[in-house]
Amino acid sequence: MLSESARVTTAQEAAYRIQYPNSKRRAAKIIALDKTSAKIVDEVSRLPWNGASFFTSLSFSAKGSPGAEGGEALQAWLNDLAGHALNLVAEVASSDFVVVITAAGEDARAVSIIADACKLHNKTLVGLVVPRDGASEDAVSESLNHLRPYTRMLVVASGVDYVEAMLMALRA
Amino acid sequence: MLKKEQNDYVTQTGPGTPMGELFRCYWIPALLSEELPENDCPPVRVKLLSERLLAFRDSEGRLGLIDEFCAHRGVSLWFGRNEDCGLRCPYHGWKFDVTGQCVEVPSEPAESGYAKKIKLKSYPLIEKGGVLWTYMGDPAKQPAEPEFEFCTVPLNQTFSSKRLQENNWLQAMEGGIDSSHVSWLHRGDLSSDPLFKGAAGNKYNMADLAPVFEVVENDGGLLIGARRNAEDDQYYWRITPWVMPTYTGVPPRGDHPIHGHFWIPIDDHNCWAWSYDYHPTRPLTDGEVQAMRDGKGIHVKYVPGTYIPLANKTNDYLMNREAQKAGRTYSGIEGIGMQDASLQESMGPICDRTKENLVGTDNGVIMARHRLMRAAKALAEKGVIPPGVNPEHHKVRQAALLLKRDVHFKEGAKEALIAKKGVRQTSV
Repeated sequence: MLSESARVTTAQEAAYRIQYPNSKRRAAKIIALDKTSAKIVDEVSRLPWNGASFFTSLSFSAKGSPGAEGGEALQAWLNDLAGHALNLVAEVASSDFVVVITAAGEDARAVSIIADACKLHNKTLVGLVVPRDGASEDAVSESLNHLRPYTRMLVVASGVDYVEAMLMALRA
Repeated sequence: MLKKEQNDYVTQTGPGTPMGELFRCYWIPALLSEELPENDCPPVRVKLLSERLLAFRDSEGRLGLIDEFCAHRGVSLWFGRNEDCGLRCPYHGWKFDVTGQCVEVPSEPAESGYAKKIKLKSYPLIEKGGVLWTYMGDPAKQPAEPEFEFCTVPLNQTFSSKRLQENNWLQAMEGGIDSSHVSWLHRGDLSSDPLFKGAAGNKYNMADLAPVFEVVENDGGLLIGARRNAEDDQYYWRITPWVMPTYTGVPPRGDHPIHGHFWIPIDDHNCWAWSYDYHPTRPLTDGEVQAMRDGKGIHVKYVPGTYIPLANKTNDYLMNREAQKAGRTYSGIEGIGMQDASLQESMGPICDRTKENLVGTDNGVIMARHRLMRAAKALAEKGVIPPGVNPEHHKVRQAALLLKRDVHFKEGAKEALIAKKGVRQTSV
């Protein structure tokens, strides 16, 4: 007699797997850290998404970062594609995960502010470094160094196509 | 998640499929040398990439991998007689050489030239590092021989095994680049397995169950770095190379032999899980080889006379709930190889990726799929030779090391990630 494991792992048995949506729509926040990556975010945002929100820049006036010790309460805003400025901490609080994108060699220091907001609400921060034409290995390293202390996963993307593929894979 | 059409695209490897054509650009492991141990030994049935083939070693030691079935009446040549530099079909005596060329049709006069007009499909078969490799693609595009370090060191420094795994190759391979499962599924083995235990670096694994990952592209595929906190402003990095389409290297531990895998499609519902262990600078000890033969480390015990794991789906993988409850094994299954295989087979013959819910730390898997699909498309549309075909791409090594926290692992481990003859692995 066949064991249970042998019986249930056939292609025929796979047809009896229950078909239903096993996850709810999740809120991904995709944030550009610089002007070059803002163009990428703009381009990617035009695809159909499953509830993802896209932001092309971060502005802030705080003396400290939200959530950081000694930091002032909410002083940072995310700017969306329609030109609205939205409260960073509130956006992060309502997210399921946050993705930051920077172009290699660009100034990515704003990640620390976003990371503080993620820390405050215990949200996962994923970092993508997108190489630019002609960007050196040093530029990539510099960007990675900016993002490394703050991200749970850090990826050097092959290009815009990977940004799209990753967000789709994550059901963003 | 993948859309259904993407899942089909990346999992199907039969003739004429995009991923099948991609696989046919590479030399792939076909058999262990021990399966054809001597001249005129019995032929061996081989199914690869959904093609039924037969391997044999002729009277002069030449290796052949040919269509399994006789061109006359479709009989399996596995019943054939391997003699006098060819394989003779026992039904009517037709005989074929290692290239698949028919050399004799007894019912026809030799002078008629009839035999010369009959040829079975065949693929080159070469022996390297105790493994027989084949290339199933366009002969005009046959690449240079594989140069993976495990198959270029002296034979007493390397050991390979294979086991049948009854699911699609991709879900098996994805386990090899999904480093985040190690801290869960294999947590019991770091301190007990003779091929793992005792390494100084193990303490970092045990102390930090939530590593942070970085994924970067490499010439032949990917480098996946998992970092954990270490002393003195350092990170402990474990770096897994993936060479397209299906080679992975497990980061080393101490001076133990280094190991890794290939997952080679048999058909779309089965694959061979190949496991290699080698040491770059010294012979494997008798104790190490015995442990590998006994199914320790990443190897398995077999059903005698086969390459089927002793713990397999027909016996529920010898599930031990008591060991699971006591924490001796996390899943209740003994051995690293079968811990992986049991779960991967439970996904079904082909994992339905339309239903999965990946998270950020799955980026290694996401990027590997992306690279595979991108390469298959470039090959199909523009004839671009995919990464990993060039033997230079094979000369990569897994590494485990401590680096300052502000150092990019690809830079900091640059030398460690290159396979250099006579240079020991970089390991903690």
